[in-house]
Amino acid sequence: MLGSLLTALTAAVERSQAAGRTTSERIRRFETEQLTLHVLAATVVFLIVLPVLIAALVSTKRAGIVTSIGDLVPGGHALSNYRRALIGLEFWRFMLNSFVMSVAVVVGKLIVSLLAALVIVYYRFPYKNAVFLFILFTLLLPVPVRFVPLYRLTTELGMGNTFFAITVPYLASATTVFILRQHFLSIPASLVETAKVDGVGPLRFLWSVLVPMSRAVLVGVSVIMFVYTWNQYLWPLVIINAENLQVAQVGLNLLRGQASTGEVAWSMVMTGSILTLLPPLALLMLFRRQLLETFTIQQK
Amino acid sequence: MTDVTLQNVRKEFDGVVAVKNIDLQIPDGAFVTVVGPSGCGKSTTLRLIAGLEQATDGTIQMGNQDVTGVEPKDRDVAMVFQNYALYPHMTARRNITFGMKSAGDFSDEEIDRQVEEATAVLDIDDLLDRKPGELSGGERQRVALGRALVRDPEVFLMDEPLSNLDAKLRIKMRAELAKLHSEFGTTTIYVTHDQTEALTLGDRVVVMNDGRIQQVDSPQRLYDYPETRFVAEFIGDPAMNMLSVDISRDGTEYEAVGPTFRIPLPEGDGLETAAGAKALLGVRPESLSVADSADRSSFAAEVTVTEPLGDSLLLECRTGDQEFKLHAEPRTAVEPGDRVALTVETERLHLFDPQTGEAIYHAAAAESSERSGVPAG
Repeated sequence: MLGSLLTALTAAVERSQAAGRTTSERIRRFETEQLTLHVLAATVVFLIVLPVLIAALVSTKRAGIVTSIGDLVPGGHALSNYRRALIGLEFWRFMLNSFVMSVAVVVGKLIVSLLAALVIVYYRFPYKNAVFLFILFTLLLPVPVRFVPLYRLTTELGMGNTFFAITVPYLASATTVFILRQHFLSIPASLVETAKVDGVGPLRFLWSVLVPMSRAVLVGVSVIMFVYTWNQYLWPLVIINAENLQVAQVGLNLLRGQASTGEVAWSMVMTGSILTLLPPLALLMLFRRQLLETFTIQQK
Repeated sequence: MTDVTLQNVRKEFDGVVAVKNIDLQIPDGAFVTVVGPSGCGKSTTLRLIAGLEQATDGTIQMGNQDVTGVEPKDRDVAMVFQNYALYPHMTARRNITFGMKSAGDFSDEEIDRQVEEATAVLDIDDLLDRKPGELSGGERQRVALGRALVRDPEVFLMDEPLSNLDAKLRIKMRAELAKLHSEFGTTTIYVTHDQTEALTLGDRVVVMNDGRIQQVDSPQRLYDYPETRFVAEFIGDPAMNMLSVDISRDGTEYEAVGPTFRIPLPEGDGLETAAGAKALLGVRPESLSVADSADRSSFAAEVTVTEPLGDSLLLECRTGDQEFKLHAEPRTAVEPGDRVALTVETERLHLFDPQTGEAIYHAAAAESSERSGVPAG
């Protein structure tokens, strides 16, 4: 027993000597590896951030025409640019519209998806799996694909150019139903059975048990949905004509049109871009922990 | 409190029969344990009584009421689960009161009084503001019991409530459950896979296997007069030994004859029909002992394994091609490989039909068998 252990040890030592790996050498190798990784990561991050960085720089300049590297020095017009965009050009109104639209869509989506997931997980009814598959199937038909029929439907309902038109079509969400379903399935069945035996009704169970137990997932999903809705451009552009109802992404385009000289006011456009970036960025920073949690649940 | 009656209850899941037409009567105020190997249908039976599953066939009655299709909440039962089923985001107090408040059958004062009473009995009154995550397994199960107690139901249903606890705590909680039952007297149906729990807790034990009830009896009778080979081998640890024998008859004397032994059988019902046929001789390990000297009824066997248990010495032996276990006196000087002479306590022998597994003979005359679990007729 001891003998064989000794033989194994000696063999291992010989092997490592043959490979020429002493401890200090191994540490050096590890450090080089780490350094390479960090440099690589930093480069990738820099490349991703670069456009935003340029936008931020341009938003501080007067004209905002960049023709050389030298033009990328921060300018001194940051404050006046942002004030002009937000107040002078009333960009705050577009931001507010976007915000209201996003919040409404998130809240509506959560209500619809929570109820859908509740039914799909906890109720027995015929063709349940087929119903769920059908919901998943709607993933193949996002809003842009449904543009033409959706446009006709909305205008024929007399809802074109209203707040209704930019919220209701987004309310059903197969993704949210799917994520919530997976989460509900991970909750032990005995909890719902206890509730059944105790006479706790389905809505009370949803509100008092499922929602509190799904808080992290709900927050994670809400952030994703908020950012998704906030970034909608094409549909609001098509369906909304009134400028006072328009959303930030489309509003950006209107900022460009404010250039009186016939030239594009790039610094204004970039100022608007940076402004529209801020709310999603704030949410992502605030709720990054819950976001990560939501996705680890998906991996389970 | 109420009695529960199952009549011809059958449950199928997608063509798989989990419970095969069982009849069971649980008297008012009884503590009935249901025991069997996993997959025997015991949990399904409990869930059928709770209303969490609907019977494919048959009727379930509580008191004089047919509750077969009735929703769980309208059956006035409380259930305790193996994994406690506590809501993790609620304090112990909220967990206990949540169901009561939802049902709306209780006033606030009533709830407070019930909670106070139940938590005092369970000794959890100082844990009420903690969440389940801050409680130990035993404390969690007490909270779950508290939740069941406060509702003052007609029937308690318990699905392996102690299985997640460690051995020591399990024994302690077992005693407390027995105490609780004697205090409240509520009809209790308790499902477990642990025969010790089943025997120690139940006034009546239901043994199930393969979706059928094998026997319903008091714990001691179940041990002394098993009606089937399954019950004989399932109840008792180590299990009853089964030796295949021929039954020979010489006048009024009967003997179980194996390849290497002849064991006399005391007179009793069933021997006459068994004579001349093959049978399985059931011998409990404690009915066998190492003999000082060989005599007519003793036989020789080879010891294959010795397991000192402290209060006895468990021997695994072989005679011919048949293996069996026995409890010998502690500190008996035997080693694996030794040949020993064994004697049998003949008053504790059983014979089973090798094909059907039904008991055909018990050496000790049984008082009239009380299969009270099955309704007359």
